[in-house]
Amino acid sequence: MGFGIKIVLLAILNALVLWAMGVLIADDKWIAALIVLAVTALIDYVYLYPSRRLVPLKYLVPGIVFLVAFVVIPIISNANIAFTNWSTGHNLTQDEAIVAIQEVSLVAPADGKAYTATPATKDGELVLLLVDDVTGDLYVGSESGLEPIPPETATVEVGTITAAEGYEVLQGSQLAGIDTQLAALVVPAGEDSFIRAEGLSIAIELQPTLVYDAEADTFTNIETGTVFTDNGDGSYESATGEVIEPGWRTHVGFENFSTVLTNPLYRDPFVRVFVWTFAYAAISVFLAFALGLFLAIVLNKPTLKLRRIQRALLVLPFAIPAFLCVLVWQGLLNDEFGVVNQSFGLSIPWLFDPTWAKVSCILVNVWLGFPYFFLVNTAALQAIPAELQEAARVDGASSLQVFRRVTLPLLLVVTAPLLIASFAFNFNAFNNIFFLTGGGPYGVEQSLAGSTDILISYTYKLAFSAGQGAQYGLAAAVSIFIFVIVAGMSAFSFWRTKSLETVR
Amino acid sequence: MTTLEQTEAVPAARTAELKRRRRPAILSDWWRYLVGLLAIAFAVFPILYVISAAFNPVDSLSGSGLIPEDVTLDNFRAILSGSPGGEGTSEAALDIPYKNWYVNMIVVSGATALLSVFFGVLAAYAFARFRFKGRRMGMLGLLLIQMFPTFLAVVAIYLIVLRVGDVFPAVGLDTRTGLILVYLGGVLGVNTWLMKGFLDSIPDSLDESARVDGATPGQVFWAVILPLAAPVLAVVGLISYIFSINEFIVASVLLDSTDKFTMTVGLYGFINDKYAQQWGTFCAGVILAAIPVVILFFFLQRFFTEGVTGAVKG
Repeated sequence: MGFGIKIVLLAILNALVLWAMGVLIADDKWIAALIVLAVTALIDYVYLYPSRRLVPLKYLVPGIVFLVAFVVIPIISNANIAFTNWSTGHNLTQDEAIVAIQEVSLVAPADGKAYTATPATKDGELVLLLVDDVTGDLYVGSESGLEPIPPETATVEVGTITAAEGYEVLQGSQLAGIDTQLAALVVPAGEDSFIRAEGLSIAIELQPTLVYDAEADTFTNIETGTVFTDNGDGSYESATGEVIEPGWRTHVGFENFSTVLTNPLYRDPFVRVFVWTFAYAAISVFLAFALGLFLAIVLNKPTLKLRRIQRALLVLPFAIPAFLCVLVWQGLLNDEFGVVNQSFGLSIPWLFDPTWAKVSCILVNVWLGFPYFFLVNTAALQAIPAELQEAARVDGASSLQVFRRVTLPLLLVVTAPLLIASFAFNFNAFNNIFFLTGGGPYGVEQSLAGSTDILISYTYKLAFSAGQGAQYGLAAAVSIFIFVIVAGMSAFSFWRTKSLETVR
Repeated sequence: MTTLEQTEAVPAARTAELKRRRRPAILSDWWRYLVGLLAIAFAVFPILYVISAAFNPVDSLSGSGLIPEDVTLDNFRAILSGSPGGEGTSEAALDIPYKNWYVNMIVVSGATALLSVFFGVLAAYAFARFRFKGRRMGMLGLLLIQMFPTFLAVVAIYLIVLRVGDVFPAVGLDTRTGLILVYLGGVLGVNTWLMKGFLDSIPDSLDESARVDGATPGQVFWAVILPLAAPVLAVVGLISYIFSINEFIVASVLLDSTDKFTMTVGLYGFINDKYAQQWGTFCAGVILAAIPVVILFFFLQRFFTEGVTGAVKG
């Protein structure tokens, strides 16, 4: 029976892969198709070839495939992006950028020709049927160039082509929504001359002001004669430092990393955010741990009544998805209408003053975190042998001394790894910041980083904030900084707890 | 801490004295009850407040007190109606497909949890029970990978999904399938690591005796290991479920159209637009969204607490 299921699953997988290969090949993605084929062949081999040595792989293969596809490849690709200038204005490849620059620089010359245009299709491709307004000559313009049409094959009414052999003239509803396609259709018409439609029935001759010289890899402005050369940073630049938009994405070495560390525009916010991220994570964890420990000590007396209910209520914040809680806290802490200010008769700007906003972030994070440490510490306290404390007491230690010298050290031995893990978690607690303050409030300086932004929310804004454009390369570099820090902490924790020994 | 067992052997006189001292325990422990009460108040008041606002006929934040004057289900009707701005108001165009978000939340998180636990336990079984070449390397790699928070690579993930979507729109941007696959990769490493630790603690002798009886590795896995690991699978599944419910960065970057949003992305947008005016409606949405997780949590709490505290005791 198990064999049957295996065969059915493999058959489904192979059918899917066959279909995917077809799609990939139709799209000319040969390398991707080959990789998919190779991986599938390997999977089939592992599951069908009877060998004892392949048994472990049968269990590992699904996990490996997903981890490689959705973790390993993104990590590598992310590291790669960190070394590029990929950002708004540097989105294209160099070839795409060269075409884009020429098209952006197109202007109509004073003595340029004008045409009456009719949009049509030939074999599904959009073309323009053109009548020269001066000479009355007929042409067809496509992406590949301008060609004359024999007058006898076309019908011309009032200076406009209404029908032509071999072409389907677009009419009525067919014209709706093709304006972007039309605007993108630039017809090369001889030396440094292009024709583009202006609206649906007129086309005009255009000339680029920037002309590309493929051999020298330079652009020349034909009006001023300025020469623009590849500046190595993904842009064409003149001798005077003038840069042509758009640029292209290219590898820039360690520039993103050095920008973060040395350019005051990015370094100052980065340092500020970095310090706050550490403070935020450390203070939150410390306070949540202290509160959890205090409650665990006070409430961990077997004679207390209603302990189960007490525990269930205390753990409630832990049971509700955190993002919902943080969104609710945003309302609770509203300075005008929030229940916190109203109930206690306060008028504290919880979310709109840089200092209070930091306090709020920590308060909410402690609220979210203390139930966890309450549970952990309760369990840890119960695990400490009572004889040890008893012995200390017999030796004359006061309650405080017993706690400080016996209970706490023993407790920390077992909870230290959890504290480090919790610190690493809070280091990247994006939601707890972003949903509460959005990283704000913002200072007067023109920076993306607000006063409560932590590294991960700052990275998110660098990459996806509309304001200053997307800076993928820089964001990827910051994310690598974060990874190094988090990995360093985890490595330290594993080293301390010798978890690596389980890797036998 | 003096426990009852320790007093058993103590002479009768001592016991009597202890009893006398214990009788007013409730009184002498009054401060413990007070601390407990304060802590519960701190833990529960935001939740009570949300419940009260959800049933309060006054929708706006300014009108919501801790005790509502009246009780109504209007807010729940509003959030489920799809356009809580109501007909005829200037907000009529406001599109809040809350029911879609709900379904997306359950589908995305549920699929992530189920699939990641299944694939994770398979890999954990291989690491825990087989000795093969490259095992140590594999474990080290896994340890490294599970330390890397996937959302750090969100830029790369976005660009990859964008390109894959060009060829296969079904798993591209703005699809639940694409999001599930990304989440799956994100939680798989941690899941495998956690479950491997548990499988290590199941005595080898159990599967050995099954193997002596002629069971194949597959039969050992399905008939011996899986049933024993069931509680841990449930807890790890719940952790993955909660992770994907909370996840915002990847979801907000990959999803584009309002009706594809998960609850996290949807409610974030809603509260940012309207929170002062439609606070009650929002709170109704919060309660409905929290219910499945809270039920699961308390249903699995015994295992969950054991999992959390097991790390301490172990």
